[in-house]
Amino acid sequence: MVADTRSKSAVRSAGRLNEPRAALVEPQADGAPRLVNRLAVELIREEWRVVDRWWTEQPINRRYFDVVLESGQNVVVFHDDEHGRWFSQRGA
Amino acid sequence: MIACLAIPAFELRASLRKRPSLALEPAALAPREGEEPLIGPVTAAADAAGVKPGMRMGEALATCPKLVLVEPDPASAERDWEEIVRRLEDSGFAVESAALGTAYFDTRGVERLYGGLEQALRRALAAVGSHWDARVGAATRRFAALAAANVARPGQALVVSDERTKEFLAPLPLRLLGLDERRREELEALGVKRVGQLAGLPGAAVAERLGPDGRSAWGQARGGRRGRIRGRRPAAEISEVLEFPEAVGNELTLRRALATLVDRALNRPERADRFVRKVALSARLVGGASWRRTLTFRDPAAESDRLRIALGPKLNDVPAPVIALRLELVELTEETGRQLELVRPEGVELQARLKEGLRQVKASTGGGAVASVVEVAPWSRIPEARALFVPRDD
Repeated sequence: MVADTRSKSAVRSAGRLNEPRAALVEPQADGAPRLVNRLAVELIREEWRVVDRWWTEQPINRRYFDVVLESGQNVVVFHDDEHGRWFSQRGA
Repeated sequence: MIACLAIPAFELRASLRKRPSLALEPAALAPREGEEPLIGPVTAAADAAGVKPGMRMGEALATCPKLVLVEPDPASAERDWEEIVRRLEDSGFAVESAALGTAYFDTRGVERLYGGLEQALRRALAAVGSHWDARVGAATRRFAALAAANVARPGQALVVSDERTKEFLAPLPLRLLGLDERRREELEALGVKRVGQLAGLPGAAVAERLGPDGRSAWGQARGGRRGRIRGRRPAAEISEVLEFPEAVGNELTLRRALATLVDRALNRPERADRFVRKVALSARLVGGASWRRTLTFRDPAAESDRLRIALGPKLNDVPAPVIALRLELVELTEETGRQLELVRPEGVELQARLKEGLRQVKASTGGGAVASVVEVAPWSRIPEARALFVPRDD
């Protein structure tokens, strides 16, 4: 039997890499993280704020910290001001 | 006999498939972005309200304030038309597609199969389906077949015999001929309003007054060339689609997505080392509209760089953010071989080893286990927006 080669269309959805994961963060008084997943923050390398897509139903309002933990791991954590929760991501 | 299958206002019908309720309302196809603001085909309700195709948008809205402008959806229209042509081909017709909504085929090869001309034409109409309101005309000449299809009612097959062709064409309006608006008005001002009147004029005089276009219209008015129908080679249909997690308007991101699609399409086993002669790039846009461009290569190509370089600039024309990008290899060559290179380019062996390694990983873990990482916005301050992973099955 000859296979029908006509209908072979491939639809694949691209996924996001480095999706944020919920993190256990203990902040200092100024809002900067002191502990991330029970590990002390050794150094805050960078801090930035992103306010974007405020015109959509999924606005972004986040305060980011690029930190080095006591284990030597480089992590990006952010406080989601929309939902009041902390998340972590792999650092650059 | 040459048969012509016509679906009037095909693009409007295709665009209305998503909003069928509008078919009974006054609606018209909106002009395309960057083109003159003239409306396209209109629905019967709009026609009854005095709106005519080709009217200026402002005038049309003033004539019928309830008029709904339907955004053109060229990608859906092409897909729907391709589906119709394929259904005709599956019924045994060798189809020559002239434009969206117009196709020619020769009935000689299938008349015996279906038991006669009428039965073959009915078969063609059945293959298209009743919801498109297709009609068929058949004659010994191409133009006469087109005119018959335009005169026929939805679902009707109208056959014009050779001896009746002149008589049939005579009372038809000049707009059926491929004349531009100015030439037609010129003829009408001279009192020539029907095809038969034009056919009755001496050919040399028409050529002198109206030039080559006029001469060709005169030829059509007398029935047109007998011509041969050149059935197309069925499209290759290797396509790859990439859906984005959110709408993308950034050109660089789209170019990177295109590069991934090109690699994936070229790696499809159905291509079987053949070269790509024609490609189509289409996109589903925010708001439900679509965009599509086709490209035919002078020299068929199978190198991803060449495809990327040729298709990349087309992405500048995308009018709105993209939800999904689709690449189709529409036509492939028959041959698979070319003169071998004396020195193999660097990295070919490594590529082959990598491919084999990935094949083994997939064999042990199943489909979807291997993905490419595509950097789409490395400058983004939102880390998860910097890169996407795209599953690969090649």
